[in-house]
Amino acid sequence: MGSAVFSLKRLKFKNPKNKVLFIIMISIVLVMSIAMPSKFLSGINIQSMASQFPEFGFLALAMMLAMITGGIDLSVVSIANLTGVIAAMILSGSLDNGMPDGTAIFLAIVVIIAISTLCGLMNGALIAFIGVPPILATLGTQGLFMGIAIVLTKGHSISGFPEQFMVIGNNNFLGIPISFILFIFAAFLVSTLLTRTKQGFSMFMVGSSPVVSRFSGVNNTKVLIITYMTTAILAGLASVIMISRVNSMRPGYGTVYLLQAILVVVLGGVDPDGGFGNVPGLIMGIFILQLTQSGLNILAFSPFFKKFMWGFALLLVMVLNHLLQKRNDKKKILQKKNNIVVTE
Amino acid sequence: MSEAFLEVKNISKSFVGVTALEDVSLTIRKGEIHCLIGENGSGKSTLIKIIGGVYRADSGTITIEGKELYKVQAIESIRSGVQIIYQDLSLFPNLTVAENISINQMLESNQQKVNWKQIRETSKKALEEIGESNIPLDERVENLSMANKQIIAISRALTQNAKLIIMDEPTSAITKEEVDHLFSIILKLKKRGLSILFVSHKLSEVFEISENITILRDGKKVGQYPTADLDHDKLIYIMTGCKLEFSPYIYNKKLRQEKPLLEVLSMSKINQFSDINFTLQKGEILGITGLIGSGRTEIAQALFGLNRPDSGEIWMNGELTDIKNPEDAINNGIALLPEDRLNQGLFDFQSISDNIIVTILKKFLNKMGLMNSAKRRKAGNDWVEKLKIKTPNSFNPVNSLSGGNQQRVVLAKWLATSPKVFILDGPTIGIDIGSKHTIHNIIRKLAEEGMGIIMISDEIQEILDNCNRVILMSKGRIIKEIKDSRTTNSDELFEIITKDTAAGVNA
Amino acid sequence: MKIKQLFSHNETYLMMIVIVFSLVLTIINPVFFTLENMFDLLRSSSGTAILAVGVFLVLLSGGIDVSCTTIAIAGQYISVNVLIASGIDSIGLAFLISILIGVSLGAVNAYLISTFNLPTLITTLGTSSLFHGLLLEFVGTKAVNVGDLPESIKAFAKVQILNINRPDGTSYGLSIFFVILVAIVLVTWIILKYTMIGRGIYAIGGNREAAKRTGYNVKKIQFFVYCYAGLIAGVMGVLHLSLIRYSNPTYLVGKELNIIAAVVLGGTKISGGSGTLTGTLIGVALITILEKNLILIGLSSYWQKFFIGLIIVLGVTITYAQNKISTRRNLAMRGA
Repeated sequence: MGSAVFSLKRLKFKNPKNKVLFIIMISIVLVMSIAMPSKFLSGINIQSMASQFPEFGFLALAMMLAMITGGIDLSVVSIANLTGVIAAMILSGSLDNGMPDGTAIFLAIVVIIAISTLCGLMNGALIAFIGVPPILATLGTQGLFMGIAIVLTKGHSISGFPEQFMVIGNNNFLGIPISFILFIFAAFLVSTLLTRTKQGFSMFMVGSSPVVSRFSGVNNTKVLIITYMTTAILAGLASVIMISRVNSMRPGYGTVYLLQAILVVVLGGVDPDGGFGNVPGLIMGIFILQLTQSGLNILAFSPFFKKFMWGFALLLVMVLNHLLQKRNDKKKILQKKNNIVVTE
Repeated sequence: MSEAFLEVKNISKSFVGVTALEDVSLTIRKGEIHCLIGENGSGKSTLIKIIGGVYRADSGTITIEGKELYKVQAIESIRSGVQIIYQDLSLFPNLTVAENISINQMLESNQQKVNWKQIRETSKKALEEIGESNIPLDERVENLSMANKQIIAISRALTQNAKLIIMDEPTSAITKEEVDHLFSIILKLKKRGLSILFVSHKLSEVFEISENITILRDGKKVGQYPTADLDHDKLIYIMTGCKLEFSPYIYNKKLRQEKPLLEVLSMSKINQFSDINFTLQKGEILGITGLIGSGRTEIAQALFGLNRPDSGEIWMNGELTDIKNPEDAINNGIALLPEDRLNQGLFDFQSISDNIIVTILKKFLNKMGLMNSAKRRKAGNDWVEKLKIKTPNSFNPVNSLSGGNQQRVVLAKWLATSPKVFILDGPTIGIDIGSKHTIHNIIRKLAEEGMGIIMISDEIQEILDNCNRVILMSKGRIIKEIKDSRTTNSDELFEIITKDTAAGVNA
Repeated sequence: MKIKQLFSHNETYLMMIVIVFSLVLTIINPVFFTLENMFDLLRSSSGTAILAVGVFLVLLSGGIDVSCTTIAIAGQYISVNVLIASGIDSIGLAFLISILIGVSLGAVNAYLISTFNLPTLITTLGTSSLFHGLLLEFVGTKAVNVGDLPESIKAFAKVQILNINRPDGTSYGLSIFFVILVAIVLVTWIILKYTMIGRGIYAIGGNREAAKRTGYNVKKIQFFVYCYAGLIAGVMGVLHLSLIRYSNPTYLVGKELNIIAAVVLGGTKISGGSGTLTGTLIGVALITILEKNLILIGLSSYWQKFFIGLIIVLGVTITYAQNKISTRRNLAMRGA
């Protein structure tokens, strides 16, 4: 827990894992900038990295919240698909039925938030009220939600949205893609939620031990329901960016994001058992993923090799974390017996 | 006079530069009941694990029946006749009684094939040997009571021609009735020539069952005595190295008010407790004691909103309150220090500071609902100082603390809510005598300052020393209230409780 | 007394649901309940059931394996390509190669999980991606059509036992796929009930720490579980190839969640240590009937994912709601 606080003169990170991430991130940037400066540092490349970042980033934020509470949300991509499909229907339909663009866009966004909230409520109810393990609950709901999306579109894609809507996904503001700005804003909100609100604090505690948090007066049910509603809303917002970027929506989009989201969350320092994690770490994790991805793209690696890489990276991170933890445990025993201050 | 079965000579063990045991020696004879006693961190469990072949000692020897143990493997120890029953019993909840009992034999026989007929026979025989044949062989262990689980663990130990059974804190979770039953089994085993080594911190039981006592302190052996040569005070003196003064707590009648701080009327919950009535005044320390299973923890949890009663009323300061959940309880000024510190009271891996402030988050919220980190940090540090929690840094994880300090963190967490009624369920379980005394002093001070305290404990002496009034419970009912604890003594109380239990009066 | 016991089992309720479903389907379309249709159902679902057995074993040991489909398709694609490239037309060789691949990949899972104590879900997510990426990158992506398929593989699908004649002279029978499934189920059952390794799987699923202390070799048992699951996946891969007469390395992957759902619906606890083969098979039957027969009640295939998701949600809701009620009852009764 805790944010990464750093000054330029002496890089001080409260969280040692973040320090490692920062070093990895900078190293990759340096290596790629030196190895292929023209391609890597080109405007096109930076823009392309920045454009895919946000929609994935929203999904990663969502997954992080679920995993901090010790759970997982396998339905984030499905929720994004469902809300995306419904919004797409509204937006493309509006071009036909003459609804003014502004109204259509407004309606679409409202509907996205409403539907995603309902999805999140369903997940939360299953997990918090009935006590279904999150992996099972979201396994069921991901089929349910995606299933509805498929039924609604009969598998086809929907396209043709008002031009104003496309602005979100494609235009820049002061040279930065708007979608990226939206993501940073969302990341900031999530970070504030985690570090400065009662809900956020409770999420860490519930993730550490639901029994202890109950004995401490935390309302586990409320905390979890809000958690899964938030993940769902973030997934819904991801769909806004998704559909506005490509001007169409087809159910089944982005299923590859699920594994990547989990990878990036674990990379970013979240303990899969729950109780720990922070936004700066996650963002650095996403950066590392994007940088690597773009590097692999430039070097013309196939998507299959990338798939191999993501699996490999995930396993590597976990093995390293395990070994690091073992080393820390030994230090702790020393600390406990001798009350020595261990400086990391 | 029988020969030595187990000889531990000059055992030393260190972990990562920390000394766990230093030059410890002890002897157990055949058919002897020997007790190992010591505070948390004294090295008891390390010693057990070395005898059991789970750890290798750095130096020294273990000799069983004259043969020295060279190979450090659990299996070597087991073959020599040593069986360890850990505190968590190491049973398989999803498997049947028969399989659980026979498992050692199954693994020992080195056969890949599983013979279910033999499993049934083995387990049946094992249960019959200690006279427990009424436990169904096909029942899944997770459905058994704690006491029966223990019997299964013992039966399992017996299937392997055990000659020495080591029991680690066997009586922490069973009722007095069940403890008696366990002791009768232990005596049966002794008659068969088995030696028993058990680890316990419950002094009364140690005196009841053991013949010899070995005392460890800080990894060193500070004495081995025949039980008959010791008494309660002497034992504590040897364990802690200091003589502790006990003086009973005296209630300051000036704090008494017309409307009691807490009044419980006719509280009942089926199969747990019935018709509970009592009051609590400011400044009182009310003790609730009775055997485990008498309903004490259930009542505590009911008052805290974790265990809604079927009927009854809870009044505070003359007003009827409705406590549906812990949040309600906290808002009404009730705090509960839970029985199981590690699994109910603390977030192991979170920091000391976070563990303390989890109950008072709303104190740090500004108008926008955001927490002020500086205030948060200060609060954590203040409490660490106030309760003298020994740590170099309040951001260290709470599992870096000793048991006594951990309990202080839990105390801090609840004191931070400024409770009016503080319920302490087993506040000094598993805590060394030194820390126990300190915690008692903290509790007394709180009461003197006007808090109403309910102390629940197993140890009658602890209750009599620290409470001005005592409620005795048995099987879910209050059987006696003693208005002034100075008027009675532990033997008397003990008799009242056990008599009632023995008489088999139903709840 | 026996009937009461029967009803206390999850499997009984599940079986009843399957029966009810089948009855409804039969009423709507009588073709459903013919022997021929049953045989056909068994033929086409044996593969899924075989994978489910592997998933069941992993769940029983307290873990979750989402890489089973990837292992199956890897075994399939590699073996068929080897057969074609070498010109050896032997179904036995195909199985052998696929099994070897399956066991090797399973061993990778086993190594990571047992050596580093990694959470099984995320680990197998990682290995699944790793394996699939490797397969597609280094072995290829070109699908193998029925025309290029070795004869023995095509012929294998036609092997039947229990031939029954139709009035027009042709015959139908029980596919060998089903026989393989039965064999695997039997072997697994024997292992679980009559061998120490089998009991060990229950032990580590029930209480891993206790298993270590009592002397079970946890690492060995985990290795066995994941390698066996890999072996089973390898068998399934070739079987599947024979069934659909087409080998596309991007197929199958994605179905693992449905299989896990089927196993969980069958009463296997996700926490480990509890579950039955019977329940697993009934769970698979349920999901399969849903998957294949929605068309019979007039619902297009688009509804498939929705309905399966719905069944999973309903199934887990009932299971865990029941759990909650009975725990409350137990706590009240024991006064603890």
